[in-house]
Amino acid sequence: MKNRLKVLRAERDWSQAELAGRLDVSRQAVNAIETGKHDPSLPLAFRIARLFEMRIEEIFDDGENP
Amino acid sequence: MNARNSSEPGPGEARTRQRRRRQMIFLAVAAVLGGVIGGATGFFDQGDGNLFAGGWEQMKLPPALAIGIAVLLLGGFLALPLYGFKMVDDYKREINLVAFTGGCLSVLSGFPIWAVLHAGGFVPAPHAFGIFAIAFVSMYASFLFARWRL
Repeated sequence: MKNRLKVLRAERDWSQAELAGRLDVSRQAVNAIETGKHDPSLPLAFRIARLFEMRIEEIFDDGENP
Repeated sequence: MNARNSSEPGPGEARTRQRRRRQMIFLAVAAVLGGVIGGATGFFDQGDGNLFAGGWEQMKLPPALAIGIAVLLLGGFLALPLYGFKMVDDYKREINLVAFTGGCLSVLSGFPIWAVLHAGGFVPAPHAFGIFAIAFVSMYASFLFARWRL
């Protein structure tokens, strides 16, 4: 699944470790999500959306949206 | 909000370091446990066997020590992994599930394959340590595959 996590993180000048700590996940998890290797669980997707004060679909794109 | 330009690590970086520290402690405990089990087994074995080089049926340990090592093995192969599952996040849990699945499927397919190859006269008869080794090695290989290729 495509996502804007890397861009949003860069806009705030956060390292992967910084974002990982704020989301309470490992740095490897952030890297895997950013590179599209891993789709976050629904609770984690909500935490990400809340952290960036956006809606989930503004961050993640499952390719189904017109 | 700017974590990189600050001399102090951000709150997220601090939590990530704490997580990494916990993980290192977990690995250190596992390594110490493994060392104690291996060391005690090797040091106190009164027979001619060897847990890793074959002939483990001929191992002979004092009964109390055998029970103690069995408890440590239970901790190392059951309690510690289960605790580890609780400690890691979704991503690492997924990798570990792939690893455990790889180990389990290898045993399920490995034993009958080994048995029929033995029946055909190609290999020696299946033995317990061989099955354990299949599980362990394939679990580790599955972990590496999941971590770097999936």
